[in-house]
Order: sequence, then structure tokens, then C-alpha cells
Amino acid sequence: MAAYVLRRLIGSVLVMWAVATLVFFMLRLVPGDPIAAMLADVGGPEEIAAMKAKLGLDRSLLVQYGLWFSNALQGDLGASIYGSRVPVTQIIAEAIPRTLSLSLLSFVIAIVIALPAGIISATRRNTLTDNAVSFLAFLGLSMPDFWLAILLIIIFAANLQWLPAVGYIPLAEGFWPWLRHLILPAIAIGTAFSAIIARMIRSSLLEVLSSDYMRTARSKGLTPRMLMFGHALPNAMIPVITVMGIAFALLISGAVVVENVFAIKGLGRVLIEGILNRDYPVVQGAILVVSAIFVFSNLIVDLLYGVIDPRIRLH
Amino acid sequence: MSDATLSPADNTRPKRRSRLLVTLAGDRKAQFGLIVLALFALAGIFAPLLAQYDPNEMTLDMMAGLSAAHPLGTDDLGRDLLSRILYGTQVSLFIGISTVALALAIGVTLGLVAGYFGGWIDTIIMRYIDLQWAFPNFIIAVYLVAVFGTGLLNVIVAISLAFVDDFARIARSMTLTLREEQYVDAARTLGFSKPRTLFVHILPNAVAPIIVQATVSVSYAILGEASLSFLGLGVDVSTPTWGLILADGRSFITQAWWLGVFPGLAIMLVVLSINFIGDWLRDALDVRQKAI
Amino acid sequence: MSADKTKLRGKLRALWKEAHDFDPKDPLFGLSAKDMSGPVLSRRATLRLLAASGTLTAAHLMPGGLTAMAEAATPGGTLNCGWAGVAEIQTLDPAQIGQVLQFQITSNVLSGLMHIDADLVARGDLAETWTVSDDGLEYVFKLREGVTFHNGDAFSADDVLYTYARSSDPEQSIHSGVLANVASLEKLGTHEVKFTLKKPQASFLTKTLERASGRAMTIVCKGALESMGASDYGLAPVGTGPFKVTEHVLGQGVTLEKFADYYDPERPKLDKVTIKPIDGVEPLAAALEAGDIQYIGGNPIAPQLIDRFKANPDLVVDIKPGPGFQSVWMNPHRDPMKVTDFDKPLDELKKEPGFMVRLAMAKALDRDTYVQQASFGYALPAYGTINPAMAFYYDEGIAETSEQAFDPEGARALLAEAGYPGGKGFPELEMLVTPSGKRNGLVVANIFKQVLGITVNLAVKEFSVGIEDFNNMEFDMRLGGSGGDYDPDDGLIDWMISDSKFNGRTRDTVKYPIGYFAESEVDALSAQQAVTADPEARRELVRKANQLTSDKVACGFLYHPVDVLVYAKSVNVPAESRIPGLTDLDRVTLG
Repeated sequence: MAAYVLRRLIGSVLVMWAVATLVFFMLRLVPGDPIAAMLADVGGPEEIAAMKAKLGLDRSLLVQYGLWFSNALQGDLGASIYGSRVPVTQIIAEAIPRTLSLSLLSFVIAIVIALPAGIISATRRNTLTDNAVSFLAFLGLSMPDFWLAILLIIIFAANLQWLPAVGYIPLAEGFWPWLRHLILPAIAIGTAFSAIIARMIRSSLLEVLSSDYMRTARSKGLTPRMLMFGHALPNAMIPVITVMGIAFALLISGAVVVENVFAIKGLGRVLIEGILNRDYPVVQGAILVVSAIFVFSNLIVDLLYGVIDPRIRLH
Repeated sequence: MSDATLSPADNTRPKRRSRLLVTLAGDRKAQFGLIVLALFALAGIFAPLLAQYDPNEMTLDMMAGLSAAHPLGTDDLGRDLLSRILYGTQVSLFIGISTVALALAIGVTLGLVAGYFGGWIDTIIMRYIDLQWAFPNFIIAVYLVAVFGTGLLNVIVAISLAFVDDFARIARSMTLTLREEQYVDAARTLGFSKPRTLFVHILPNAVAPIIVQATVSVSYAILGEASLSFLGLGVDVSTPTWGLILADGRSFITQAWWLGVFPGLAIMLVVLSINFIGDWLRDALDVRQKAI
Repeated sequence: MSADKTKLRGKLRALWKEAHDFDPKDPLFGLSAKDMSGPVLSRRATLRLLAASGTLTAAHLMPGGLTAMAEAATPGGTLNCGWAGVAEIQTLDPAQIGQVLQFQITSNVLSGLMHIDADLVARGDLAETWTVSDDGLEYVFKLREGVTFHNGDAFSADDVLYTYARSSDPEQSIHSGVLANVASLEKLGTHEVKFTLKKPQASFLTKTLERASGRAMTIVCKGALESMGASDYGLAPVGTGPFKVTEHVLGQGVTLEKFADYYDPERPKLDKVTIKPIDGVEPLAAALEAGDIQYIGGNPIAPQLIDRFKANPDLVVDIKPGPGFQSVWMNPHRDPMKVTDFDKPLDELKKEPGFMVRLAMAKALDRDTYVQQASFGYALPAYGTINPAMAFYYDEGIAETSEQAFDPEGARALLAEAGYPGGKGFPELEMLVTPSGKRNGLVVANIFKQVLGITVNLAVKEFSVGIEDFNNMEFDMRLGGSGGDYDPDDGLIDWMISDSKFNGRTRDTVKYPIGYFAESEVDALSAQQAVTADPEARRELVRKANQLTSDKVACGFLYHPVDVLVYAKSVNVPAESRIPGLTDLDRVTLG
């Protein structure tokens, strides 16, 4: 097992290196000159050349790559080429709590909705309730998250004026302000995931409930409640938990669009803005961090699978 | 009886078909899905006949409410919303289907080849697939569009490539399982060529999970295109797609609610229908739920 | 026009003439050295200086401002502001600031030697008094004493020298060019400095030393810069202004708090100001309507919101003509709009098919429809770079006299004569637009389709990508223009002369000998007007040049924007705080 974990760990690091390298070179093939844009109002060709030299953008690609890579190994991801040239690590460090807050809250909302919904529809299989839950789950899964976000803004921010339409307040400034700003975006993101997880819980529960093991337990005369929470649910949660690992990573990517609607500068938004502005260092840094999140959450999920089903480890 | 062992696919096909119909009869959601999807498909095909206006024709009658002349109102440039949504159906369905077709062709080929041949071919292909797997599809699509630029073709290529890993993984794992099955062994012993074994014997048996994945992917592709348009990375600006209509309407949504509601509804109905159909196929074809 | 208005206009004319009444060769523009010195420039001197530097506009002449005093309002409270159309405030370092939405903030945090008031009169900010030598080359400033920076450091002449050294270094500042005319800066005492200029410069006090828009001599804190580093300082600059930055998180916003030791104990009134960047139309409107924010700064407000805000009894909407223009640029190196030489009489040019196409397209621009459809009526048709905010220089008659005046019949006839009757055979052209200009581009393309039957496709590119194509002359058409143009120079010198700073600046000059437009008479007239002090004479030259650029289709001029300020009724913005383009909040109160 240890050897397997080590092998997977090295593999994951290699994947990240490959991603970083690919991104570095692809970005530079893209049209668009960030320095010209930066100096559009104030500089001529000489200023542009001077600025490029200063930022090292006049060196050969390989030299730039070597510099970037050796710096990255030392935890220096460079600095944004715009404005005050804020270090990328700082931009990312500021973005991570936002995306994490948003994802965590979306996750909580998703679970709070999904758990009862999944249990109810599994225990009342094929009843009206089951059908209604299932239909709502489908609905949640089919709504574009940004559409839901806009509808939420119109209803709860513009018309009812219960919650703010945009922005982010750090948790350090109080729980309520933090929560207020995150509720709407978290619902927008969490809805689709609650649908996925509710369906997972339902099918997983049904499988467990129909298993021999449950039949035995039932024949022993356990109450339905004990059956459900003592035996069926914990067993049913195993496959669900492994799915949630991926779901959490996907929550972060789902945040990209919704962060945009609610003007929350999380990781996804940093990434998109970086791409659109050709802010190379920011894009590279953001991709590195985002890829790390996905690679390692996949790794954990795979390891969990390995624990559950040792056959997986064979190849 | 050696024939039956050699081609079980032939044997199961009629069974599968009848099972599909049997389950469909009892599946209201799937029926709803098929009907709605068929209606949208017809609306898309006959859009030029159904639409009262040129979808890009501007008037100074901007953000006019619902009326007989404009059943779904007009948009911020005075264009008829119904006509735009009708034409948008064409584009959205076309993008949904073509991206998945392309992703399927590339992904399944990669997966079959990797799984069947194994060795260094498998290693190379799967290294790439793993690399891509490390990212959610949408992030990859965003990145590819940002590199290639916007436009119909680029959006299709970007979304397709983003889906390739899903199909490759399924095809490969099915191939790995099936490779060890008796009838493939038999085909090998009988000296059938590798490609023939691959495409005639293995592929048909890997088809059920791929069909389900493809169906679900169509809905993801439609959502993906809408999201790309929303970020300003979509199809070119004069092509009315639902995502673009919604993105453009976003800035006017409180003055003209219909701009935000109807295109969103169209996306939701189609995606919902496809999800219903996918669910039915999953049950009917007995494909175990894939972990997203 | 009412009698009152006519009377006012006559009075303004007189003021204008008086302001411009000096010999252009006089280094002090007809003012004595004493006029130019002071704790405050006299109104007359200011107007004269503005006129000489070519920055005098009608706005300066309007009476009011100082007379309308703020209502008795209680100090204190928090003002929450939204900054429109921007996702983050990238920098607040004066050496790096390139956008109005940024110096709108720093004007509340950092001081300069001078600061303009609502009448655009230059007043001493950190400069208490100053004297100017008779040759107009030496400026001696007596600095305010007892001023401290937000971090407690005392302000002295050293900080002026430090700022000067930093700002004149192109490695550290993007505004070093602003100081090109300064020969030297000397420290005469702990609170006394002397600038020596290379040649007299009328705009020295009002532009170079201005704290907000000047940016070159916006005083930075040496101690803070050295201890924080440029990058952190850029987020939360330490200055001597009425507010201090207590927090700045990129993409989240800026928090300003009252600086208790500000040199004017009467200011600021507010305890706290929060500034939240809001990118998106609905979120901005929702935030204002929900009361999350009470004041909008930053980029121009989306036009579709203006009527909605006006209809809201809780809001104040204040609209003024905006200084700028937007155009449809046509590449003269590309078929079918090809013109190799604009230096021909108009009649001869009109015989060239390429010019016919350009003129046809310019004539086809149905500006009234455009303004209604794209701007919901909140813009003015344009026929040149000279905008209505330049008041005196703006030529209202150009709508009729320009060759570009909307004429669908004429446009179609020209296109047919050029070989494309009804648009037949006309190639599909591509027009560069930015993502935010997409909607406007669609309206323009539709007008071309309707009037001429030609197809213009949009190429939506991020500004960083599109500007490169534009500067390299690698485009068919482009929709774009300028803002912040208060003086004819801003329109003519910056945009219309052969080697203006936007005219194909980085093009391959072998492949493309000219940029988008090059006309020797326009060049000559533009150069001449820049040094002509007599207002009537200058106006004549400006109008001539402007007319030529319009007639010879330097581009298809489209519209002039309007300047809109929106805030909640609960906010008192005294007239003296309504400085064009700025959002000085030191006198603002909450009621």
C-alpha cells in the first residue's frame, strides 16, 4: 500500500509539472500583448520595450521557462504584470479563502438539501414524494448555475432586498456579514450538487437496503429507524463519500461562473481574468494551484477506492 | 453454437431494444424528455419557417413586453426574442450533438486503442488522459477557447476536447474488462485481426455505457456553451445561442424579465429532457452510475 | 433660448475673452509674477492659465460651485461606494495609475502641491504659498508645516524631492514624461522647494502639480514606501490626504477611514468610506437599490440604468456633457477602403473608389438611431474629435456642414459609384470591438446593413489583444475612441495628426507608410492652434482642422458620451465637491 501511495504521489506531482509546463508554453503562443495594453495610454514603443526588458519578456522562451520554474520551486510565482505588480502568491492567497468559503458553504447547502431528500426518496421509493424529489433533483441539475444566480439576485437582492447582490466579506469581519454575502452564490452553486448527491444517496441506499445483509438485519427485528441510521446509511455513504471528493473539486470549478456573477474574486475568477488579460504569471500560478486541488482530491478519491476495493490497485 | 459465442452482441441487440421499449412505457419522465426534445428538434429544424422575424433584425422597439406581435417580447436591441430562441435551438442542439460526436470519436478511439494494445501506447495515451482528468471539463473548455479564440468551430473543438477524457476512460476500462472475456479470446484464437476484434467485437459490447455517457454529455455541452457565452468566450456575437441571449440579456434583466427567463427556460427544458432520457437509458441498458 | 441663458452666455463669452487676452509669447501669459503666486490663484489668473495651456472649458466659467454651501449636515458615518465596471482596483500607486477610476480614489488619500476645486481653480494643497519668477521659469513653494503622513512621518521638502526622483524615473513611474519640462528641483529649506523649468509652461500648476489627474507630483511617503515595498504601497498608499487606506484587498475593495490629523481640522466629514468594485450592470443597480452602496464612482454607468435611476425617488442623478468621442475606424490600407494619400483636394479624393467607400460608410452612420438604440438616448452625435464639453471650441454646426452628415441616399449612391450597388460584391469586413463594446458594435453593424446592405462582422477581443492590432494597423475596422478630452489638443494632437500617439503607433512603417489618417493641413492647423492664444483665432483653427478630419473621413465619427453621477438622496454632495471626473469625498456628508 505504501509503495502504491508513493507511486501515485509521484505521479500526481508529475501531472502538475506537466500541466504547468504545458500552460507556460501555450500561453505564450496566444496572441495579445499585455505590455502594449498596460501602456496603451501612456507609453510609446521605447517604453514598451523598456517594460518588457524589465519584466524579462524579451528573453528567449526557454530562459523565461527556466527562470519561472526555478522561482516556482522556491515558492515565488512571480507578480501580476498589471498595476502594482502584486505577487501572484498574494493574489492566490487572497483568493483561496473566498473560493474555499464559497465551496464549503455550497457543499454544506448541498448536503443539507441532499441528505434528507435522498433518504426520503429511497425509503418511499416510487411514491409521489420520491417522484417529486427526483423531479426537483433533475430540475436542479438542469438549471444553468449562472441563470439561477441571476434569478436569485433579482428576487432576493433587487426585489426583496434581503441579501447583498455582490461582494465578499472575510469571516474575520464577522460570521453574519460573511454568510450574508455568500448565501446566494452558495445556493446557485450548491443546487446542482445537492441534486447529484441526493441521487447518489438514493441509489446507494436502495442498493444497501436490498442487500442480504440488510435482510438479515431486518429479520433480527431492528426498527426501521435503527436500520436506516445504524446500518443502511453508513454503508450507503461509502460510495457517496468518494463521489463527494470529486464533487468538491467540481464545486470549485462551478464557482468560476458564479464568482463572476457575484463579483467575488476567488480562484476561478483570478484564473479567467488572468487568461483574458494575458497576465501570464497570474494564469500560471492560478492553474498550478487549481490543478493541485484537483490532482490531490483525485488522488485521495483513488486511494479511498483502493481501500474499499483492493483490486483497483492492480493497475 | 460457436457463432453465438463469437458474437453475443447480435444476440443481445433485440433483447436490448425490447427492454428499452418496455422500460420506456413505464417511464413518464423519459416520455416527457423524448417529446420535449423532439419538439425542440422540430423547432430548430423549422426555425426559418416558424420564426416571424429575422433573429438579428433590430428595431427601436426595445425591451417591448409580451404581445401578439412579439409573443416573448423583444430584447435590448429590439430583436424578437421568440425568433432568436428558435434559431438558438439550432445552434444549441448542433453544438450539443457535434461536440459529443467529436469527443466520442476521439475519446473512444483513444480508449479502445489504449485498453486493447496496452504497453507504451496505453501509457502515453493514459498519461495525457490523466493530465486532462485532473481538471474539470469546464475549466479545460474555458482555457482552450481562451487560447484558440472564440467562434463556433473553436467552441465546438474546445468543448469536445474537454470531454475526450471521459469517453477515453470508459472505453478503456470496458476494453480492459472485455478483453479478458471468452468471445474475444475466441476471436483471437480464430485469428481475427486486431482492428476487427477491436471494432467488431469489443466496441459493440462497450456501447451501453458510452451511449449513456454521450447522452449526458450532450446536456453538459449545452450547459458548457451557455456558460462560455456567459463569460464572453462563446460563439461569435451575431449567432443567437441561448447562452449568448442570456448573457446579453443579463444587463437588462430587471427591465425585461423575459430576457432572463425564456432562454434560461429553454436551456433548462432541453437539459432536463436529456437528463430524463439519459436516466432511462442508464436503467434500461443496466449501466452502473458512473462517478460523475 | 431664454433671455437669461443668452445673458449668461454673453457673460461667459466676456470672461472667456478676458482670460485669453494675452500675448502668447509672454512667458507669464499677461499675468504678473504676483498674479501667478499665492496661496490661491485668483480666479482671473486661473482662467488665464487654463486658457494659455488650452485647458479652459465652459465648465470653468460657470458661476456657482463655491456659492452653494453644503447644507448643515452632521459629520460622521460610513459611505459605501460602488466602483462601476471594474473587477478590482489594480493599483493606487500614483506612479502606476493609468485610469480615472484609480485617481478618483487616491485624490482622497494622497495630496499634491496643488489641487483643483469644483471651478477647476488651482488651490494650494500641500503648497501654502508660492511665487513665480518674472521669466516664468522658477517656482518657489512654501510648504505647509506640521503636516503628517498617515503613518505619523512628518511631511517636509524631502518628500517632494523623493517623489520627484521617483516620478522622473521611467523604471518606477509611467508618468515621467509629465516632468520632462522640469530642469531641476531644489530644496531651499525644510519646507521650501524650487522648481526650475526648461521653458515656460502654462499648465504647470494645474496639470503637473495637480494631485489627482497629474499623478507625477502626487506626494508619496518615503518612509512608508521603503518599509512596505512598492507592491504593498500600491495597494494601500500612505499619504497626507483626508482619508487613509485601512484595507485594500484586490477584487474585494478598499476601505478608507478618516485621518484625524488631516491638516484641515474641518475635513473630512465622513468617518469611513468603503469602495467596492462592481463589474456587472445588474449587480451594480441591485447594490444601489438595495442600499448596499450609496454612491457610484469608477467607470461610466451603463446607459440603460440612467432612466431607471432617474425614476427612483431615493436617488440623485446628475448629468453633464462628457469629454470624449467614439468612432468607427477604417483602415486605409485595406480594400475596399483603400486610400494611400489624403493630401489631395477633397474633390479629387472623392473620385477615388476607396475614398468613396469610406465616405459612404461615414455618411451611412445614422447617429440618431445609434444614440437611441445603443445609448438609450444618453449620448450626442459626433462628427469630429472636438466634443461639447469643450464648449467654446465645439462647433454645433458641424452636424450640417460635415461631409459625414447622415445621408442614406448619398451614401448608397457613393457605394454604387465605387462599384458596389446595393452592397453587391462588397466584401465582409471585420470590426474590432472590446467585450464591453460588443453591443455598440452590433448596432453599428446593423446600421451598415440597413443603409448600405453591407456585412460587418464583429471581432470581439479583449482590450489587450485588440489594441495591438489597432496600433499595428492590422484591422479592417475598429470601434473605439477617447475619454477625458477637455482641450482641443486632446482631440487633435492625440488622435488626428500624422504622428499622434494612437495613429498606428507600432505599425510596420515600410509596409504602412501612414497610420489610419495623415493629412498635412490638419497637421499644420493642429500645431498652430496649440500655440495660438487668442480664443477666437484658436477656435477658427480648431474648427478648420476638425472639419477637415470630418470631411476627409479620418474615421466615421459616431458619438460623444455624457458624464453621469448617481448617488442616494441621503448623501450630500456639496457643489464644491462636484469636480468633473473626480469623486472627492472630504466634504461629503450623510444626512
